[in-house]
Amino acid sequence: MKYIILSLAVFLAACSTAPVTQKFPDVPKALVERCESLRKIEGDKVAITEMLKVVVQNYGMYYECAAKVDGWNDWYLEQKRIYESVK
Amino acid sequence: MSQIAWMINLIPDAMLNWIYWLIIAAGVTGVLAGWIGKWIPFYGNYVKILQPVGIILLVLGVWLRGGYDTEMMWRAKVAEAEARVAAAEQKSQETNTVIEQKVVEKTKVIKGKTEYITQYLDREVVKKEEIIKYIEQCPVPKEIIDIHNQAADINKAAEGKK
Repeated sequence: MKYIILSLAVFLAACSTAPVTQKFPDVPKALVERCESLRKIEGDKVAITEMLKVVVQNYGMYYECAAKVDGWNDWYLEQKRIYESVK
Repeated sequence: MSQIAWMINLIPDAMLNWIYWLIIAAGVTGVLAGWIGKWIPFYGNYVKILQPVGIILLVLGVWLRGGYDTEMMWRAKVAEAEARVAAAEQKSQETNTVIEQKVVEKTKVIKGKTEYITQYLDREVVKKEEIIKYIEQCPVPKEIIDIHNQAADINKAAEGKK
């Protein structure tokens, strides 16, 4: 029995992992926030200015979301460049 | 074989180096003693044992010393790779900070601009006479509102909710 335990210990010693591993890069918190849903116009009789306000807010939300998408693209390209520089 | 190498790795490097040199020295001594011993009376009986043992020790010592150098070379390469990975991780963190700041700044500007336009609409536009007249005479038809609201929900169709 003791020989089996000893031989197992010897065999297990060979199970080593790769000595150098690169950690998957973190993502900035600002990028993982979901884009908000677009606003809707409330009520049946609405003034054109109220409607326009909702349209303006929706445009703003689109550009906020676009900033996040651009951020993701920048993040990917930069992290790829850094990853490839290690090879 | 790798198990033996792993166990040898547990011995401190400096000590290992000394052990290998001692094996080589013992091998050389054994070979020389075997060669010289032929001319020494009564010593000749040991030559038969000393010479092969010396040769075996010498070969083993040289082989182990070669392995030690190779091991040291690989350790240096691993250390170099680790340093490069650490530098890349540091760079990655710095890049993340820059990107985050950029996105936060952009979002802040966009929110500010949206707010400004909305306030301008409430403060200035709604006070203009022609706008007041237009608002009184022409409320937005319900159909237009419905179409706008449907358009705002287009994404839900893609998500399978509508």
